[in-house]
Amino acid sequence: MEAITGWWDDYFFASIVVLKIFMASLLLMVIFGLIGAAAKLSNSIIAKKIANAYTIIFRGTPEILVVLLIYFGSAIALTSLFQLFDPSIKYVDVPPFWAGTFAIALIVGSYATETFRGAFLGVEPGSIEAARALGLSNLQTFVYIRIPEMWRIALPSFGNHMLSLVKDTALISIIGLNELLFVAEQATATTGKPFTMFIVVGLIYLGISTVITLFVMGLEAYGRSHLRAAK
Amino acid sequence: MTQPLIQMQNVDKFFGSFQALKNINLEVHKGERIVVCGPSGSGKSTMIRCINRLEKHNSGKILIGGRELTDSEKDIDAVRREVGMVFQSFNLFPHMTVLRNLMLAPQLVRKNNKSKAKEIAMKYLERVKIPDQANKYPSQLSGGQQQRVAIARALCMSPEILLFDEPTSALDPEMINEVLEVMEDLANEGMTMICVTHEMGFARSVADRVIFMDLGEIVEEASPQEFFENPKNERTKLFLSQILSH
Repeated sequence: MEAITGWWDDYFFASIVVLKIFMASLLLMVIFGLIGAAAKLSNSIIAKKIANAYTIIFRGTPEILVVLLIYFGSAIALTSLFQLFDPSIKYVDVPPFWAGTFAIALIVGSYATETFRGAFLGVEPGSIEAARALGLSNLQTFVYIRIPEMWRIALPSFGNHMLSLVKDTALISIIGLNELLFVAEQATATTGKPFTMFIVVGLIYLGISTVITLFVMGLEAYGRSHLRAAK
Repeated sequence: MTQPLIQMQNVDKFFGSFQALKNINLEVHKGERIVVCGPSGSGKSTMIRCINRLEKHNSGKILIGGRELTDSEKDIDAVRREVGMVFQSFNLFPHMTVLRNLMLAPQLVRKNNKSKAKEIAMKYLERVKIPDQANKYPSQLSGGQQQRVAIARALCMSPEILLFDEPTSALDPEMINEVLEVMEDLANEGMTMICVTHEMGFARSVADRVIFMDLGEIVEEASPQEFFENPKNERTKLFLSQILSH
């Protein structure tokens, strides 16, 4: 175990990177999922088709491939865009942090699209009618009735999406981001102790995902409190 | 005579190519108690759901308190504030306690502060005789209690008109009376009511007028006595013989 001494700070900063990616991609994933769900539920045929293409593509291709394609694709796209203004630019470097965050948010967002869509449709139509009949506006009905019902329906799947995001952060090492897996590879190269170095990564991921699981369980218990059986 | 509270003039309603309402004409004055009955699929629910625009009529005119129902959200909201509705399946908000169910619209729509809204809520919970259930969730109550909460929720808005859409049809038989009692109290206090119901005892004792609908039309409209003793239309007679035979 003494091989690991001297690497703790690298693991610590890499964990911070993982948590930052998780937070940023969580926010983006919710946004992509909500936009996707809204498009699928809209009356516009074009919006529906685009959303369908989105979920088919991102659920149907390997995640690591999506990360690579978005990293290199965005670099190429940005380079040609910048060259329009200044032809002397040879290459625009896209930060791996943002390319990776964007990629895993898009992937998990495609699953979240279906979760949010299902939750929207799962809200009792009677509750919505009752709110409208009481004179609540569309917006009030959405905020006070539909959202509270929706999150309870979406929560179990949403917990899974959060775990997917955490685990997908490991994919970003392939585009050179200094995260946990990347640190473990460096440490292995120096110390020649791959198992020790990778088991530490495993334990850190397990720690993060356990916190998320407990958080979701707590929320589920709170959300279910209104369904307690009559006593 | 004063202007009617509800006026429906030549109202038609289609679901796709199916005509759910055919040339409906109805006037209801303040304080009147109307019972609407008829076989299922006859358009009873659709008719009262047009009154607060949960369904949109396709032609004809509907005026509530002189205000015409059009696509104007403002008019629709104004009408809904004055027209309460009680549904067959209660439609309470499952994620809110009984008290919050009752306070929501007085706070959001009538802009009462929290303590005023709570005072209103408790007043009507007492009126439907279940103030002790205020902090429970709907799923913890019996069907009859849930429907009484739903009635109290509608009353919290002090509506001019209450619409009842088969309020006892989803209840176990032993719970029907507790709901009917509340409805009878309201009727005796002068509330303007339109009730879609098959409770003929209620119609007999409470209604000023009974309306019989079939195939989207108002077939017969009469006082309860006239309606039950001496129905004119063949379809009314058939319907009455079917529901009163046992």
